Amino acid sequence: MSQATKSPQEPAKAAKRAPAKKGKPPKRAKQGLLGLEQKRNLTGWTFLIPAALLITVMSFWPMFKAFQLSLQIGKNKLEYADPLWYNYVRLFTKDKTFILTMKNTFLYLIIQVPIMLVLALILAYLLNKKDLRCRALFRTAIFLPCAISLVSYSMVFRTMFAKEGLVNDVLVGLNLLNEPINWLNEPNAARAVIILGLLWRWTGYNMIFYLAGLQNLDYATFEAAKIDGAGPIQTFLHVTIPQLRPMILLTAIMSTNGTLQLFDESYALTGGGPSHQTQTMSHYLFEVSFKNNSNFGYASAISFAILVMVAVLALIQMRVGDKRD
Amino acid sequence: MKQSKLAALLGAGLLLGLGVAACGGSDDKTDASDTATATETSEAPPAEETSDEPVAPETEDTGAAGKSGELTVWCWDPAFNLYAMNTAASIYQQTNPDVTVNVVEVAWDDIQTNLITYAQSGAIEELPDIFLCQNNAFQKNVINYPELFSTYTDSGVDFSQYPQSVVDYSVIDGENWGLPFDNGAAIAAYRIDVLEEAGYTLDDFTDITWSQYLEMGKDIKAKTGHALLSGQAGASDMIMMMLQSAGASLFDSEGNPTIAGNDVLLKSIDMYKQLVDAGVMEEYNSWDEYIASFVNGDVVGVINGCWILGSIQTAADQSGKWDLTNLPKLDDVEGATNYSANGGSSWAISANADYELAADFLASTFAGSTELYDSILPSSGALANWLPAAASSVYAEPQPYFNNDAIYAKIVDYASKVPSNNTGVYYYEGRDAVGTAITDILSGGDPETELQEAQEETEFAMG
Repeated sequence: MSQATKSPQEPAKAAKRAPAKKGKPPKRAKQGLLGLEQKRNLTGWTFLIPAALLITVMSFWPMFKAFQLSLQIGKNKLEYADPLWYNYVRLFTKDKTFILTMKNTFLYLIIQVPIMLVLALILAYLLNKKDLRCRALFRTAIFLPCAISLVSYSMVFRTMFAKEGLVNDVLVGLNLLNEPINWLNEPNAARAVIILGLLWRWTGYNMIFYLAGLQNLDYATFEAAKIDGAGPIQTFLHVTIPQLRPMILLTAIMSTNGTLQLFDESYALTGGGPSHQTQTMSHYLFEVSFKNNSNFGYASAISFAILVMVAVLALIQMRVGDKRD
Repeated sequence: MKQSKLAALLGAGLLLGLGVAACGGSDDKTDASDTATATETSEAPPAEETSDEPVAPETEDTGAAGKSGELTVWCWDPAFNLYAMNTAASIYQQTNPDVTVNVVEVAWDDIQTNLITYAQSGAIEELPDIFLCQNNAFQKNVINYPELFSTYTDSGVDFSQYPQSVVDYSVIDGENWGLPFDNGAAIAAYRIDVLEEAGYTLDDFTDITWSQYLEMGKDIKAKTGHALLSGQAGASDMIMMMLQSAGASLFDSEGNPTIAGNDVLLKSIDMYKQLVDAGVMEEYNSWDEYIASFVNGDVVGVINGCWILGSIQTAADQSGKWDLTNLPKLDDVEGATNYSANGGSSWAISANADYELAADFLASTFAGSTELYDSILPSSGALANWLPAAASSVYAEPQPYFNNDAIYAKIVDYASKVPSNNTGVYYYEGRDAVGTAITDILSGGDPETELQEAQEETEFAMG
């Protein structure tokens, strides 16, 4: 993303800087093969080439190869499928497991992302208050989970949510439950655990974006709101949130992208079980590639299906969220 | 290795881009090791050894009488497989001092991933000489990627000295592709102190059927409150052991799935459900909880491959309280036995190997040295599949942890009676589908429809 947004600016910057160098007569430029404007553009493009080349070789070329692969079938010797889109047809019409993993992933997305973003926003708002004591401590504590290794946190969650784990002990001890729940062996309970894990881990991460955004806001706008008689909730809803819109858009797109590609929690926390009920699309993709008889053509088709989903959702979010024009 | 090569190439590319192309052709020995491999491929004479180990292959002439050369081996589990391989290496070096064996720890999942990657990219030269392969995955890998393996046809190993069921895991079209090592014979271990408390002895659990097991299990549960067996939810290990004990499988001899309407499978699942419903068997979510269930003494029996003994013995306070016997057998099933297997692994010689040396090494150690098995058994519990080793007195020694019973001789005896299991190419897919079916059946699904689903799921994976 950053590559793409930066690129048009560089030639523009070069052009802007140009007027300062007006000392030389314009005629000399015309003597060369290229006009002055073209020459300046060329400088811009020259700076762009290494990055463009790298992104082409490291990103676009593999993507193209992966697409090619997604049209092929076979376990060892790959060949093009008879109707080229065979893998895609198989994926969406016949593969019950994929449909199930897709439903799971979207369930995580629909429940987890909104809760997480709202929580992150509230936390950021609270931690941005100037009169709060130990702000740095709270910020670090809330941010810390996302610096913890995925596998180790999954192990801790698994122990906590074991049938004889801490969570059951506490809930039964407080008489909130009559008998312990086998969290990770009941489809809905296991999904809830995954969502909890995701919330725990990623809320702080998104909060940091909002904090950064909040600190860039002009304090005068809040003062103005105060003078106009707005309460804290009104200020939050009508002054803070509109100004944070670009940041909210960014985090929404990143979280959607991250959730659709979710792998670690499904793999390490529940192992996709019970019976694929908590498995995500990426985890299924991994199984198709490396655990079962590897079917790389089919796995590529899955990855492209995920790519299209991410792209479509990001597009919708940009349409809805980006009001700059 | 692939990555380092890529990195080296990229690095080289960047250097070229900056115009420092001059150093490209130099054979500078002080280069970083990864750049060294990259240049080696372009300039090295046909030395065929692209190992990234700094050990210089000075004596590469394999024609000499006393063997020389270097073997690279991949296997997992330092306390078990690596230990055995290193012991084998030192035994082999007594007669062949010029041979170095370089044993590298690689987890099975990584070996599997590497095999797939190398086969897809054709990078066979990256393979080690010898690697360990799970028995259940052996046929799948040899059938999918025959170019990665060498057969044992010219190896001089006498496979008649192994139990047939163990050899069969790695036989494809009559050819041997694997040398059985890790023994997967199934055992039923019990806490005899708890059995006695409930009025039973180990003999009551020997040569029994599952329905007898269930009745006694209910009785023990009522008297002591302990479950007799535990397992991992969603894993189909127990069902697969029941199936194999009757010589049945999820696939027919042509490799077509026979999950739907499989009578032995239906009976196994029915028994499994009865065990769970009666509380005789406890299901746990993860492997560590499963291990903890009997280490903590919550569950007083274990049925699994004999490699589970290592985990049982982690509970030092239970020494002398365990003993083992054979499995219960299925009721009313033709060909049902009290013997089965779970897991186990075999040595494969890769297509990239110094074949003569690798074959001679394996044939004279793992398939020809009682000394090897005698020395690895007491310290790592590594049981021989090689029958001549079992005749050794070490196997008949009483084991204090297991009530002074000569358990190793027992297990080797069991191993020789296990019916063969047809794994085929799609074993893991079939097993997964059955695992899903079991989960659904336990929560109230109809067994026949669930198995029909599992059959379709497996057929889908094969399509």
